[in-house]
Amino acid sequence: MTQRGTGHSGAPVVSFQDVSKVYGSVRAVDGLSLDLRSGETVAFLGPNGAGKSTSLDMLLALRKPTSGRIQVFGTDPYSAVKAGHIGAMLQSGGLLPEVTVRELVALMAKVHPRPLPVGETLRRAGIADIAGRRVDKLSGGQTQRVRFALAIVGESDLIVLDEPTTAMDVESRQMFWANMHAEVAEGHTLLFATHYLEEADQAADRILVINKGRLLADGTPAEIKQRAGAKRISFRLDRVDEAFLLGLPALVNLEIRRDLIQLQSSDSDRTLYALLDAGCRPREIEVSSLGLEQAFLAITAEDDASLAAAAPAGAHVKETVR
Amino acid sequence: MIGTLTLSRLEMLRVLRNKRYLIFTIGLPAVLYVSFGRSTTAFANGVAFKAFYMVAMASMGAFSGALTGNAQRISQERKDGWIRQLRISALPASAYVTAKILASLVTSVPSVLIVLLLGRFYGGIHLALWQWLTIGVAIWLGSTTFAALAVAIGYRFMPDTVQPMTMFIYLVMSVLGGIWFSLGHSGLQKIGQVLPTYQIVKIGTTVIGGSSVPMSAVAIIAAWLAGFVVLAAVSVRSTAEKI
Repeated sequence: MTQRGTGHSGAPVVSFQDVSKVYGSVRAVDGLSLDLRSGETVAFLGPNGAGKSTSLDMLLALRKPTSGRIQVFGTDPYSAVKAGHIGAMLQSGGLLPEVTVRELVALMAKVHPRPLPVGETLRRAGIADIAGRRVDKLSGGQTQRVRFALAIVGESDLIVLDEPTTAMDVESRQMFWANMHAEVAEGHTLLFATHYLEEADQAADRILVINKGRLLADGTPAEIKQRAGAKRISFRLDRVDEAFLLGLPALVNLEIRRDLIQLQSSDSDRTLYALLDAGCRPREIEVSSLGLEQAFLAITAEDDASLAAAAPAGAHVKETVR
Repeated sequence: MIGTLTLSRLEMLRVLRNKRYLIFTIGLPAVLYVSFGRSTTAFANGVAFKAFYMVAMASMGAFSGALTGNAQRISQERKDGWIRQLRISALPASAYVTAKILASLVTSVPSVLIVLLLGRFYGGIHLALWQWLTIGVAIWLGSTTFAALAVAIGYRFMPDTVQPMTMFIYLVMSVLGGIWFSLGHSGLQKIGQVLPTYQIVKIGTTVIGGSSVPMSAVAIIAAWLAGFVVLAAVSVRSTAEKI
């Protein structure tokens, strides 16, 4: 699954088994199953309202699943959190006002079963210079870094970050991920939710694509891109035979504008060879990678379309299954 | 346990750094006592007015601090996500509420102590040591029962609802409880005597009058405490999924 082959074996660190969370008539999370292995850096990628935060909330014992089972380090989420196995940073996590940054970090360190020295945490989070400031007098970016400090205040085996770089400027964001990679290199498992595709692409070695509470794709960034027809091929062709083009192997999508042809392929080599073998001589051939963003949009659009198409039958099946 | 105590200590520091606390819990009762508590001739609740007023003002500072301050903070901290932050830490689930109650107990001590000291040295009230200790402890513990009500309100309601709600409770408890002025034997007193604030003042004035602590008063305060605790537990439980 990843380039870093070591340390990924053994029992999963986190395991969701058919987990659902229902609020009234809304299925925020719908039959989610996944395993995280030790040492992985995993991005939880999805649009707003996809169920990312709800899933993380259940992982952190803030909410109970309506059905299904979550195991963290072989125990239930609540016990794992209280044993200090998980360091987490939530979007909605607040800080205690009227105390200084150092006092707050020291409190959380004292609570942790395996704390880091307070100075070390302050340094790693890049807040050593504001340690004496009152928490309620900080800027948005500084507050976010203090929240991050609380997630790494002890030796937690799993670090969970919900949209960690929101409200950070570019410089802070880069520093943040530099720190994070140092943490993960020490054998921590990292799970982060994001809607920045670039961030998922660069920081994660595995991406879970989630939409409407369901897992749509699970793989390396390269695999995710491939899955959506990750290469774009464009060329000009004098005599266009649409039926022939539609029969090309590995074709995902086809667009014809007079003599300009743009297609998406899950295997650009095969598509192109088939085109040439058929005797076509296209001009101005360009093969380019599809960004993760387009891949992501393609995957979720596919899902939305299939949901809409299957709505009546699907609803019926769901009822009989559950 | 260490974590809970550290959090409690931090909570106390926060209260002490808070201006509202200094003004309303410490300052206001002392100022009122100095302004009105020196009347030498008047009587209230069967004792000298200055003794009644000492008990009343000491109770007011302590109970308003335990109620208003806590409810407002808990509600705000819930809204801001601080309670969530604590729930994802290794702190035991009970730590937050425990720390609030402990901090309340400690920070209400000065507000009671200052008014009693003013009573003794400014008002010139002379009591036996057992009387000082008994009224001090009764006012201190009796008033802090409102911290449990504060937990119930803070967990259940948003900050902008909490403000008028605690103000209303504060007024009812103060006026009908006979804290702002003695109710004598009026019709209001008939209603007011079921309130814990009335009973706290009653313990104070009874002890100052030389009698022992009325057990009926202790029982009424304990009943209110039990009710507050149940309300608090229900509020904490029922909001668990919304925090």
